[in-house]
Amino acid sequence: MTSIRRTTTVLRAFWQLNWLEELQYRGNFIASLLGTVFWLLMAILTAALYFQHTSKLGGWEFWDVVVLLGIFNALAGVVETVLRPGIGHLPADVRSGALDLVLVRPVDAQFYVSFRRLDVWRLADVVLGLALAGYAFARTGRAIGAWELITFVVTFAVAIAVVYAIWVTLMSLAFWFVAVENMAALFDALFEAARYPVSAYPGALRFLFVYLIPIAWTTTIPASALTGRLRPALALWALAVGIAALGASRLLWRVALKRYTSAGG
Amino acid sequence: MRSAFLIDLQYRASIAIWLIWGITEPVISLGIWWSIAATGAVGGFTREAFAQYFFGVALVNQATLSWDAWNIDRWIREGEMNYRLTRPIAPIHEAIADNVAYKGPTAAIVLTAWIVAAAFWPAVRIPFEPARWALAIVAIVLAAAIRFLNGYATGLLAFWTTRATALVELQFGISLFLSGRIAPLSLLPPPVAHAAEYLWFPYVLSFPVQVLTGTVTTAAEYTRGFAGQVIWLGIWLMLYLLVWSRGRRHYGAVGG
Repeated sequence: MTSIRRTTTVLRAFWQLNWLEELQYRGNFIASLLGTVFWLLMAILTAALYFQHTSKLGGWEFWDVVVLLGIFNALAGVVETVLRPGIGHLPADVRSGALDLVLVRPVDAQFYVSFRRLDVWRLADVVLGLALAGYAFARTGRAIGAWELITFVVTFAVAIAVVYAIWVTLMSLAFWFVAVENMAALFDALFEAARYPVSAYPGALRFLFVYLIPIAWTTTIPASALTGRLRPALALWALAVGIAALGASRLLWRVALKRYTSAGG
Repeated sequence: MRSAFLIDLQYRASIAIWLIWGITEPVISLGIWWSIAATGAVGGFTREAFAQYFFGVALVNQATLSWDAWNIDRWIREGEMNYRLTRPIAPIHEAIADNVAYKGPTAAIVLTAWIVAAAFWPAVRIPFEPARWALAIVAIVLAAAIRFLNGYATGLLAFWTTRATALVELQFGISLFLSGRIAPLSLLPPPVAHAAEYLWFPYVLSFPVQVLTGTVTTAAEYTRGFAGQVIWLGIWLMLYLLVWSRGRRHYGAVGG
């Protein structure tokens, strides 16, 4: 227990430093906010274009898809705030040997590497995404029930766990292939597919997104929960997937770390 | 150019990732349109037509990618521009060599993937017409030149501002629609599609793709397309020359 407390103390200190550092760059906040709004607009226009030619996308109506886009943006915000500046730096640390400095610290290395930085300005993306999801939800004309809200919160947490596990998996590859520095771009590419409900894709792609690259669990499931399409059985499955994802990321980290021999060899 | 190619060779894994990155976008668009067209043609596009169109988008996009703005941004920010300015030839020559060395092989990979896919999937087979394919190659080369100069000239704005790459991203966002990236131009609302014709966007992607997949048929359409490409190539060449000469002086003026 003391080790967990120690880790959280260390992290809190780091985040405070981060926060002070980031406060110096308020211009970046405006720029990143404008960027987010612009890309949200493009995403909504894209969906609107599809809906010019169809009334439903994989059984989802326009505002349902916008709810999903909002959730997508919130998750992307989590990625930008925590994952990219944290575990996204792992390949560089492995290559340069900077990971040594992490491993000798008396804190859990995976925890530390994952949550060492907090790009606070990007939290605005999370807020903006959730706000859009909320607005679009209101436009669907549905009333929110306790079941929808609870399953949404749970499945959104599952989504974060799945995204985190995907990042750990991709970044851990750095322990085997040192030359791979643009793994993050691979995530960006694959995550693009999560902009739409998986049911909008043809069978082969759907299979890929549910089982092989599990991005179906990241946006489709929370959006289903909010718009009342999530069957209770699937909610339980989502919970299992989330726990399995966290477990797998832990296991992979242990296996990968055994391969680490520092930069000096 | 040879050295640029050899440098690329060292980063095969990275290049594979950039390739996947370039291909997912057209694959996602195709997936969505494929589902929408399940019940019949959409605006004249059948499922097969969508498949051919987006395979074309993937290929043309790979052959015309533009990333130089990010390089220039780094060159200027980290002072790498300085030694490049002391060389007897302008850095754009190095950038052109980089571009040819990268796009040639990677576009060939996409093309190979297309041929393999066509062997199993008749939907993506395009008719064998050597004359039109030759025209398509010309259109793709012109498109690559326009997009390169466009990205390079915009990137050079980094002499004045630290947010030149944001301008490139802004153009990219607009090109999603106006270049025909997420949908063939004819599926856009007519006023938008019409407005696009007065900009360079359709000529860097939509036009070459249409030539390649055989949806450009009349001589008038060919003439208009190629004329548009040549005009925009000229405009971006002039803009590049202007920004380069002004920017260099501005750079020197602030002491480098």
